[in-house]
Amino acid sequence: MALNGAEVDDFSWEPPTEAETKVLQARRERQDRISRLMGDYLLRGYRMLGDTCADCGTILLQDKQRKIYCVACQELDSDVDKDNPALNAQAALSQAREHQLASATEIPSGSRPTSQPPVPRPEHCEGAAAGLKAAAQGPPPPAVPPNADVVSCTQTALLQKLTWASAELGSSTSLETSIQLCGLIRACADALCTLKQLQH
Amino acid sequence: MAAQGSVKAALQVAEALEAIVSRCVGPDGGQVLCTKPTGEVLLSRDGGRLLEALHLEHPVARMIVACVSSHLKKTGDGAKTFIIFLCHLLRGLDAITEKDSSISENIQTYERHWKNCCQWKFIAQALLTFQTQILDYIMDHYLSRHFLSIFSSPAKDRALCRSSLELLLEAYFCGRVGRNNYKFITQLMCDYFFKCMTSKSEMEALELVDNSFVELNIGITGLPVSDSRIMDGLVLSRDFSVYCPADGAIRMVIVREIIQPLFSTSRSEFILNSETQFQSSHFWIMERTKAIMKHLHSHDVKLLLSSVKQPDLVIYHARLSGMSVVECLSSEELSLIQRITGFSPCSLPQVSSLCEISSTALVKFCKPLILRSKRYVHLGLMSTSAFIPHCVILCGPVIGIVEQHERALHGAFKMLRQLFTHLSLSYIMQNKDQYDSSSPKSSRENSSQLPDPGKCQDIIVKNRDKLEKNQIHLKVLSSLAVSDAQLRTYIPCLTSKMTTADTLQTDETLRCLSPEKHEVIDGHVLLVETNSTGNSTRENPRLEIDENLEVTKIAGKRCLCTVRHQSMDTTCITSQDCSSSVPAGCVLPVGGNFEILLHYYLLNYAKSQHSEKSMVSMLIANALLGIPKILYKPKKGNYSFPQMYLRSLQALSTNQLMINHQAGLESVTGKYQLLTSVLACLTKILTIDLIIHVKRQPQKNCDQDSEDEL
Repeated sequence: MALNGAEVDDFSWEPPTEAETKVLQARRERQDRISRLMGDYLLRGYRMLGDTCADCGTILLQDKQRKIYCVACQELDSDVDKDNPALNAQAALSQAREHQLASATEIPSGSRPTSQPPVPRPEHCEGAAAGLKAAAQGPPPPAVPPNADVVSCTQTALLQKLTWASAELGSSTSLETSIQLCGLIRACADALCTLKQLQH
Repeated sequence: MAAQGSVKAALQVAEALEAIVSRCVGPDGGQVLCTKPTGEVLLSRDGGRLLEALHLEHPVARMIVACVSSHLKKTGDGAKTFIIFLCHLLRGLDAITEKDSSISENIQTYERHWKNCCQWKFIAQALLTFQTQILDYIMDHYLSRHFLSIFSSPAKDRALCRSSLELLLEAYFCGRVGRNNYKFITQLMCDYFFKCMTSKSEMEALELVDNSFVELNIGITGLPVSDSRIMDGLVLSRDFSVYCPADGAIRMVIVREIIQPLFSTSRSEFILNSETQFQSSHFWIMERTKAIMKHLHSHDVKLLLSSVKQPDLVIYHARLSGMSVVECLSSEELSLIQRITGFSPCSLPQVSSLCEISSTALVKFCKPLILRSKRYVHLGLMSTSAFIPHCVILCGPVIGIVEQHERALHGAFKMLRQLFTHLSLSYIMQNKDQYDSSSPKSSRENSSQLPDPGKCQDIIVKNRDKLEKNQIHLKVLSSLAVSDAQLRTYIPCLTSKMTTADTLQTDETLRCLSPEKHEVIDGHVLLVETNSTGNSTRENPRLEIDENLEVTKIAGKRCLCTVRHQSMDTTCITSQDCSSSVPAGCVLPVGGNFEILLHYYLLNYAKSQHSEKSMVSMLIANALLGIPKILYKPKKGNYSFPQMYLRSLQALSTNQLMINHQAGLESVTGKYQLLTSVLACLTKILTIDLIIHVKRQPQKNCDQDSEDEL
């Protein structure tokens, strides 16, 4: 499906990896949520401005009190930063682990070779409760014993996240954000429990 | 501040709008509650109304809504489908450009943006080519064999059947009007249609109704919807200034100026030197007025319609001579009356040049009408045009419902107007493969000895001459007679037995061939019956097809293809200009049929093409599926979208019948117009390179074009 015919021969297109598919899926879900929220606000009488938010690029809304409102920044957690390996150490770690797994298990063991990441992953996907459900229904972790220091790193990261989330919860005023933070805390706690089980 | 990436911006906007309209699309959609910035609340299912009520300052959003509004003004249908289809197209385009841009990630942003712009322009060109060539070709060659006709008799003497019109209108109204009211509104509209239209030219009448719908309906609040009715003649929204009852036919005069002469007219001076001059001028004026009114009385004029307020002297004389007077009528109402009665304004010789009095006309009756404590004038007009004047009184508990029904009815008339227009298609046929693919199919399908009425290819079996076969194939594909034959087998499918055509109320002026009831057998509406069900009524249609064969060789709309195709294996013809048409009255069953058919044929076409034609066809084919997906979302199990899709594709690939589970028809012309409007809107979006925001509207003397585009 080449539009610039010259470029096609230079690069061969490979299908996206599981991680990339997950990122794409999460991004799509986020976009859907943003459009739904924006539609709701438009129906409530908000005005759709011609400007976009400097942080996330979403179209800005303005309410009757002439206050500018960005749906994504103020209602949804930003998802992009968490999954970008360049910005977040955890994402980098999980991507590295994925590559490790992919090279280690040549035979497709089980239908979900990426079931290992579900343990640290849920808190990265926005809407932590949704991610938690996916992880809960996922298959049990594979037989490959995890690296000990990776587990401790993950635990530290989880505790850090837990602390951060509780701080945020204390200062949060939006209902939506509070619910999501509670979900995040719950997910972190469950992840910690699973990690402890893995260690023993 | 400039923003780059018009596709991304448009996609965000379109997704937000889609999130709104997808809640109320289709028969299972709900109502949407919208709070306007002024604080008013709007509860509606009408897509156009909702979009216009939103407060949008984003330039791309305004452009999209403007495109939707102009589409609605023409066709009266499809605002929500427009947005959904546009959104899917933009998503597809975004996916394409993202995929391509992921290949070249190391190029700088500006260069990538420039590359993207070139890409989009390229795609815009490809879309235009698609619209002008491929779409028409596919409509003519592949889709036309699936069309049904809403008329139930051959071209010359086409008779519109009430039950098919009801199916069409029910499908239209159930997406626009509340669920408890749509059947009633359908019946009301059918009654109105059959009362107003003569069998001569529906187009003229429909045009008149569409243009003057505001004057032809009166809205009353505070009464239940079931009180809505149709009244003969015209109801004027004014009350009598003077009412003198008169029996029988009365003469009417329309005036557009004050009858009493004024002291001075514009651009002239009136110089008075003394009191006596003033007195004598005044006296002259009074005498003049009296003379004019006496003149009117001598011509037995009993009704005076005036577009301005007449002075008391005129009213006094009118009362003396027993003349009824209605004042302050709008110019639209007066021009409607003139159009219906065939008035032509002229001035009487004795009357001074100040006053313009048109010729007199006869009206059947004129009486006051009281509707819910408001007084109106009820005029019975004698029509000289194709339109028999009737008025719709729409009742509703609140003003919102009345307005909703009014808009829905107006849209329905626009839709009918589109339906009864011939749609001309023109395309360039490129190479042999395209052309031959149609003829081998025709010979392959003559399996059964009895021709399947729905397949026009089988009719070709009857012809001996191969040369003629292919020519007739082209002719038959776009002729009315075949589609009528299809409908004749279609209509009997709707009933368990065929009754005689007596359907009618006494004031249905159109002949109707098909039976009265239109119960749907088990909720299934079969497009064409199979041979197994031995319904005796089908014998007749089949015979009629054989007879009509002779007719279709000559008559009917011809595909003006200059083809010289002696046999199947001649050398290729490179390209010829073909023009054809979709005849008036072509319909398809509802439920996404048009979209799935077009999707299937586009996919097949894309497989045989290369480069950008294939890409565009795939893009549009995939986007088309978005509409039936949303329509089938509430359904589960065997009727869910994937099941329905698989079944349809299977049926199409084996040339079998597509079974529909929904009764209802929709206009093919409307769908085609929608497709072309969306593609035009998309092309406009793609040609935007840069959006520049200005804080203030530019001055009027500046160039308006520099606001949004580079």
